Amino acid sequence: MSVPPKEFIRKIKPFSFLNEAQLDTIVGELDVEMYEKGKTIVKKGKHSDYVYLVFSGTVGLYDDDTLVDTVSRGEFFGILSAISDNPFSLSAIAMDDTICYLIKKRAFKKVFEENPRFSSFFSSFINRRFRSFSNLLREAEGAIHEEIYLIKVKEIINKEPVVCSPDDSVIESARIMIDNNVGSIVVVNEKREPIGIITDHDLRKIFVKGLGSARVEEMMVSPVISVEEDMPVFEAYLMLLNKGLNHLVVTKNGKVTGVITSKDILTLFEPTSSLLSLYRSIRKSTSVDELKNHLEGIRKAVAELSIRGVHFYELSRMITSIYDSTVVRIIKMIEGKYDLPNFVWIHMGSSGRKEQIIATDQDNCIIHSGDSRTIVEFARDVNSALEKVGIPKCQANYMAENPKWNLTLEEWKNNFKKWFSSLTGENIRYLSVFLDLRPIYGDQELYLELIDFIKKNVNKQTIRFLALDATAIEPPIGLFGLKGVEKGLDIKKFGIYPIANGVRVLALDSGIIDITNTKERIEKLRDMGVLSEERASDLLESYEFLQELRLRHQSMSYSAGVKGDNIIHVEDIDRIDSYILKESFKIISSFQKYIRGKFRIESL
Amino acid sequence: MNVRSAKFSVVDVETTGLNIFKDEIISVAIVPMHGTKILVGDSFHTYIKPEKFDLKSMRIHGISPNTLENAPTFDSIAKKLHEKIRDSIIVGHAVEIDYDFLKKSFKKSKISFNPKKIDIALLEKWLSDRLGDRCTDLSLDSLIKSYNLSSRFRHDALADAFLTAQIFQIQLLKLLKYGMTSVDRILSAIESTKMSRIDFIF
Repeated sequence: MSVPPKEFIRKIKPFSFLNEAQLDTIVGELDVEMYEKGKTIVKKGKHSDYVYLVFSGTVGLYDDDTLVDTVSRGEFFGILSAISDNPFSLSAIAMDDTICYLIKKRAFKKVFEENPRFSSFFSSFINRRFRSFSNLLREAEGAIHEEIYLIKVKEIINKEPVVCSPDDSVIESARIMIDNNVGSIVVVNEKREPIGIITDHDLRKIFVKGLGSARVEEMMVSPVISVEEDMPVFEAYLMLLNKGLNHLVVTKNGKVTGVITSKDILTLFEPTSSLLSLYRSIRKSTSVDELKNHLEGIRKAVAELSIRGVHFYELSRMITSIYDSTVVRIIKMIEGKYDLPNFVWIHMGSSGRKEQIIATDQDNCIIHSGDSRTIVEFARDVNSALEKVGIPKCQANYMAENPKWNLTLEEWKNNFKKWFSSLTGENIRYLSVFLDLRPIYGDQELYLELIDFIKKNVNKQTIRFLALDATAIEPPIGLFGLKGVEKGLDIKKFGIYPIANGVRVLALDSGIIDITNTKERIEKLRDMGVLSEERASDLLESYEFLQELRLRHQSMSYSAGVKGDNIIHVEDIDRIDSYILKESFKIISSFQKYIRGKFRIESL
Repeated sequence: MNVRSAKFSVVDVETTGLNIFKDEIISVAIVPMHGTKILVGDSFHTYIKPEKFDLKSMRIHGISPNTLENAPTFDSIAKKLHEKIRDSIIVGHAVEIDYDFLKKSFKKSKISFNPKKIDIALLEKWLSDRLGDRCTDLSLDSLIKSYNLSSRFRHDALADAFLTAQIFQIQLLKLLKYGMTSVDRILSAIESTKMSRIDFIF
């Protein structure tokens, strides 16, 4: 016979990871205590024998007189001090009449040491490894069986590579293939670097021509397309598709480690292959209607994948490739109708950052080198076609069809010069849009020259104003946790923008704006020593978490047939998510402080 | 005695029926409390093999005759049981019946059993008279609901005893806020309620 607390506790993550015996250990020494409103449960600086689980009511955690956090039903406090044997770093005071389950410290620690999943849950939270944290959760919920889009190429190699030397005869190489029962052989030099490949298909042709005794070097397909073994499988697959290949050589530091085929990949993708076949269809589409149908299917698949727990970075990478191909497809359908100057089609905003998700709209512009009349007409055609396939027009009219954003290289340079020298609110807004530029189609040189110009002409004062702008909106913490936010919380405004904008400022200051993706910017800034390891990893974790929360939210809306927004209602989200949300806001807050300090904002 | 230093034993006794002369105890659950703190870890439950009752003819929801057949008799654990609840105030929902059955059984084992007792249903009645919360149904299920406790895990003696303890804990909070800090005042409040228990529903 078991007592109800066991059932209550069993349902709370991460106690759900515990086995019966471990639950018994926890419950076997459990007390339930009640605290009147205003009562101090544990004082800052004191030790406690317990880890506290709030059953009802609210507990405030205070640093002297400052309320730092609130804890309510199903949430814990005192875990850190239990694990570390340190005294409480904050005072816990009942803000309402409160009932707590008191878990004896030694029982908690015993289970903590026994159960690695249980302990990694807490340690990943404490160390702000939100990603592994949410993995643990979703795993526990059985949402993901395999993180298919995270799998690296090396994980699907199922054989030692079969290789031959360029000096072997073709017959010899065919014999090696037969002995090893493979459909291709990699030709390597003395350093085991791939220099060519021969497949079954090639062999047939060679033998038909009676060239079996020729040297491999003369007959092999070369150079060979190879990928490093850490590349995600999904990307490798796109590469196979784009290059029309069937075999891909896998290398580690340039040396052959295996061969994968499109069949290997498709078997792996079986459950989610709809996305891939849709992607293939988009590449083959010849009409706007066709594209529209496929894109709709893609959105559905993406919503499903996100609900099933595929991560933001993987999904946004997929959506970006898909949207990019759609745009390229459409431009190619249309450009033939016009007599166009040299141009490059550019994406800005979230698409520029490769961070778009389901509810994304068009943000594009053109840099060209000539007469603007036809190119604006062409752009209008493309923008309308994109709208037709289901990528809505940008409400703020940041689009190539707007003559304001369809300019020659010189005109663009003048724009930036003007924006850099006159730091009005409007110009700052333009900068925050046009500093995330990514070329999609056309003449890259135009883009590169503009980027170069920006890097050379940006000045400290501009960067300081952008820094001021990036820190203007502060996350809603510090008052009553997140619960003070009643009408829902705009996580784009309060979470995603502050990070993306802050990181952009640092990227601009460090001369790396040609990297547009926020994650890649953070990693680069970390590698350059601009961001500390710790801050970089905190930012990466919380940025992904926020994006994921938003993506899941939009996916749910999408699946329910409602237009998605960015407003998260705190009471709707998972308790664990609200924990992390709070932590993420703390990280953002500290990041903003750092930016303000670095760029001496207070003196502006 | 101050409530905060008092010892309580929240009990739930299951019997073969309600006839004190004929029926017997078949299970006892005890959840101890020290002041307002529920000591879940020290809670206790045992099935009890009835002495005379024909187990084969008995059908009780949720308990198999086999379980009872292999359970100890009351007499064999009477001393141990008494150890657990001596010097404490017995608390229960409609505790009168549990109390009477325990008293009768202890008596058979020649143990005198005369602790004080608190019925949380009567206490609820008193509280609602004083504090103005209207309260029509005093059954355990309704109390569990009105105190926002989940009743999903009910239907065994230990769960009922624990939920009873949780209700009592919140009642104690109300009493403390009302200024009732002594056990004696609470006991006499309940006595006064007993007088007018016409509308009490079992």
